[in-house]
Amino acid sequence: MKKTKIYLGLAICAVATIILVAADHIDAPSSMGTTADIADFYAFEPTTGSDNTVFIVDLQSNVLPSLAYGTFDENVLTEINIDSNGDLVEDLVIQAIPRDGIMYFFGPVAPSQRGLDSQVLVDAPLGSVEISAATAKVTTTTSGVKLFAGPRQDAFFFDFFQFNAVIGGTAPNGFKAANEAVDTFDGANTMSVVIEIPNSMLGATTATNALGLEVYKTWVTSNRKQ
Amino acid sequence: MKLSNILYGILYLGLISFVASCDNDDNDSMKMPDLNADFSGTYSQVDHMGRPGINTVLSADDATKDAHNRTLPSNMAAVFQAGFEARLEAYHDVYATILGADPAAVNYENNILGLDAASLTGYLAADVLEVAPNLPTTYFNPGTDADMDGRILVPDGDEVALTGRNIQDDVIDVSLILLFGGMEGNRFSGQDTDGDGMPNLPRLTSDGVSITASPTTTFPYLGNPE
Repeated sequence: MKKTKIYLGLAICAVATIILVAADHIDAPSSMGTTADIADFYAFEPTTGSDNTVFIVDLQSNVLPSLAYGTFDENVLTEINIDSNGDLVEDLVIQAIPRDGIMYFFGPVAPSQRGLDSQVLVDAPLGSVEISAATAKVTTTTSGVKLFAGPRQDAFFFDFFQFNAVIGGTAPNGFKAANEAVDTFDGANTMSVVIEIPNSMLGATTATNALGLEVYKTWVTSNRKQ
Repeated sequence: MKLSNILYGILYLGLISFVASCDNDDNDSMKMPDLNADFSGTYSQVDHMGRPGINTVLSADDATKDAHNRTLPSNMAAVFQAGFEARLEAYHDVYATILGADPAAVNYENNILGLDAASLTGYLAADVLEVAPNLPTTYFNPGTDADMDGRILVPDGDEVALTGRNIQDDVIDVSLILLFGGMEGNRFSGQDTDGDGMPNLPRLTSDGVSITASPTTTFPYLGNPE
């Protein structure tokens, strides 16, 4: 009885993870492999002591064949959400949406509506940049914001096939040693939206992390035109 | 087998050294916003991402993954914590079975941050990426072994964590350490407990891979597509 339960559990794990890819690549059926699939999200200080913050949103990835990759979708609005008081509700949003080879950015401003539906914040234009081909083209706005949109290396690294074996119960020794492990994402590309913005445009924050350090709490969403 | 008594040989991949290649062509390609572009309509949320890997790893099934992507962060802990905790325990059961132990006896152990299963999964369920505007960015940097107790991963005052995500940060290894590393960060790290040259415990605290992409030191920081 107990053994049956265990084997059933293993089988469920295995089935549930056959097509599983991280970090957020192909994470769920409704977005999986579509032009609205968020692959990754980074937020960092570009150099120690910098007064800017960088946000990178990777949409799509060609890590596996048959995934949408290579063109930004004009029906997909990307939104970076920033909570600066710790209630996990966005206080500011930055939006990006492509039109005719150009990526347009809006914000950072308080959103006109919160929740799962959004409108483009046309009254708060931030700037725009020509969508790059293989060579990066960047814009710097008069307010010191740098903008980029185009294909880039998918920098995520993970031995995803071994991970599936691990959680599927078919890898008794767990992950492989460094000399045997394989980065599944080696050679993959993604469609990236990158913005570097002065912290002064994001304002002060009173939110703190688990160690009590002052942080913005941020997340990215993709949103499809209805 | 008393897992917590096992001697450890520490295995931690530090921050990956930064590989710079300044080959981007930083053309100024600012475009005047096209006032005729149509940004009208309502955009409805499809995908969500905060921390890397959370929805992928801790949501148990496709329906949960889709629901997570359509849930506001302020509601996430209440909706998903219990399911995430069950999933975390299910992963431990997979290895209990492989090790020939009773799944009920091999459970999550409080991690290096001292978080119990409910606290950790509640924290991760609220899926946001914290980024500090005024501190160096690191997903988790254990610092040095400041108290000289031989345990570099165990916080002793000089670590920096949860201040954002750099391109080079090994977020998978950090996540694995927090989920499977126990209070010293190396609970399941491929130990050879009987000295026969073969591992007796699975390697679950590192996937073994380092970054293969080539980030740059200048905007937009990601390498040219491959």
